[in-house]
Amino acid sequence: MRRGFVPLLGCLLPPVVVLAALFVGRSSGGGPGDFIALLNGTLEAAREPLLRTIFFDVRLPRILLVFTVGGVLALCGGALQAVFRNPLVSPYVLGLSSGAAFGAALAMSLSLAPIPLFAFVSGLGAIALSYFMALRKRSVSVVSLILAGIIVNGIFTALLTVVQFLSDPFRLQSIVHWTMGNFQTASWEKLRAVLLPCGVGAAVLLLLRWRLNVLALGDDEARTVGIGPAREKTVILLFVSLASSAAVSVSGIIALYGLVIPHVVRMLIGVDHRRSLPLNLAFGGTFLVAIDTISRSLTDFEIPIGIFTMLIGAPFFIYLLKKSHIGWES
Amino acid sequence: MSPAIEVQDLDFSYADHPVLSKINLQILPSRLGVIMGRNGSGKSTFLRILCGILPYRSGRIRIMGRELHALDGRARARSLGYLGQMHRPVFPFRVHDVVLTGRAGYVRFLPDRGDRIAADGALEKVGIVHLKDRVYTELSGGEQQLVMIARALAQEPDILLLDEPTTHLDHVNQVVVLKLLKRLAHDGLAVVAVLHDPNMAFLFGTDFFFVHGGRIHRVEDDKPWNSPLLRRVFHERLRIVTHRDGALVIPDI
Repeated sequence: MRRGFVPLLGCLLPPVVVLAALFVGRSSGGGPGDFIALLNGTLEAAREPLLRTIFFDVRLPRILLVFTVGGVLALCGGALQAVFRNPLVSPYVLGLSSGAAFGAALAMSLSLAPIPLFAFVSGLGAIALSYFMALRKRSVSVVSLILAGIIVNGIFTALLTVVQFLSDPFRLQSIVHWTMGNFQTASWEKLRAVLLPCGVGAAVLLLLRWRLNVLALGDDEARTVGIGPAREKTVILLFVSLASSAAVSVSGIIALYGLVIPHVVRMLIGVDHRRSLPLNLAFGGTFLVAIDTISRSLTDFEIPIGIFTMLIGAPFFIYLLKKSHIGWES
Repeated sequence: MSPAIEVQDLDFSYADHPVLSKINLQILPSRLGVIMGRNGSGKSTFLRILCGILPYRSGRIRIMGRELHALDGRARARSLGYLGQMHRPVFPFRVHDVVLTGRAGYVRFLPDRGDRIAADGALEKVGIVHLKDRVYTELSGGEQQLVMIARALAQEPDILLLDEPTTHLDHVNQVVVLKLLKRLAHDGLAVVAVLHDPNMAFLFGTDFFFVHGGRIHRVEDDKPWNSPLLRRVFHERLRIVTHRDGALVIPDI
């Protein structure tokens, strides 16, 4: 029952939650009744432009952007955990978060635009730096890659601190705000900018999802059935970097997300990446839309979503570890 | 009968440390070849060269008549299955998902019905259909070994190489695995296994190879326990106890 039920949920939940999120917000009005009236053209003329803006220029692009970012982060986390046979890997471990944060901070501090572009390039650069630090004799070991990621994270965090230290208080505030992760400035332009890299990256990872099963068994086990692990890992790492750097460039740091969601999905449906990887995309997107909807409508001021994911994610992760539901005992 | 594997003048060294030199041998279909030798003598290295994990520079290796160098990974995987020493699983995969990965040499992106049928057939051949939906990481060591053999059989190979398939198994499971290998050889597969226990080897094997001093020697004797190689390799005072038409090798202490 469960095996058929979870994929069904993966198909039904995203549209339901996205639609529900469209009707929630702090502005008066903008419920389902107004939405239907707007579509039918029966809304009174005075409220029409405002509600049109709220639905189609504020909420809809934001929801779609949040879904894209959440789905891509979970998908990339799931793929990296498989490739590196390590439960603690996510795009952030490879230096993405601090690299992107540094790029964004530099752009804000020096009034360079566009900020997402700087975050994207610098995030991608940080992953590349980790990769080349770990590269030896044309192959990359998991341990050296994770160590390199820690070093790169350290370097960029230090650089970020320098930028913050030298910035004036007004700009400092926006830098700090960016690093906490938020979707306040979501727009159709941002969605358009990330759709191509995120779409291409996600498509390639989904196409290769069964090979993740082969790679997850180990290097020798992959080689003996005819799959070259070094080449395959490089391809996957490349598309993970592309998609996740683009996602982070418009969202800021969404803490723990790419780490926790793949574990939740594995608990629900098992390891087989043919099923779990598409569900990472569906559930990752859906949960982040739900969290973002709460963060923008719960209080009068908006709580940065990165804080939310950290506060929900951390205890949940500790629970997983204690329950040893993760299944990585050996 | 044409050999499944033909090795000519193979030399192999790690950096400056020579491991194997002037290896010449043939592995035949429908035989269970056993390779014996001390720890570090180069047994595993030899198997890893044969299955294409370790590249070799001098000498020739032909797999089913084709040069090993000329085969790409997928083509190699379709004619040669390999089981390494003790696999350490990380993910709690289900058994049928593990076995299905043996089909990678046939699959472009996603395995199809034919691949699932081949994987099911491999489970049946090994006799572990009942384990199909179990979680691999929760199985006993013996069951895990059988699953990995099924995975190699899902490759539909002509040759099966196994590096110490019985080392971590209890006595009952050792017999289960070796009986299975004997049956697979009987059905036409060329099977080669590295074994440490000479008694198990003599009981189940049909061809015997000793790795010693960088060379691989084939035992020509019908009664391999009489071969002088045995004492040279194991380097101990041995007592040979004949029993029916076989013999037991016991250290003389």
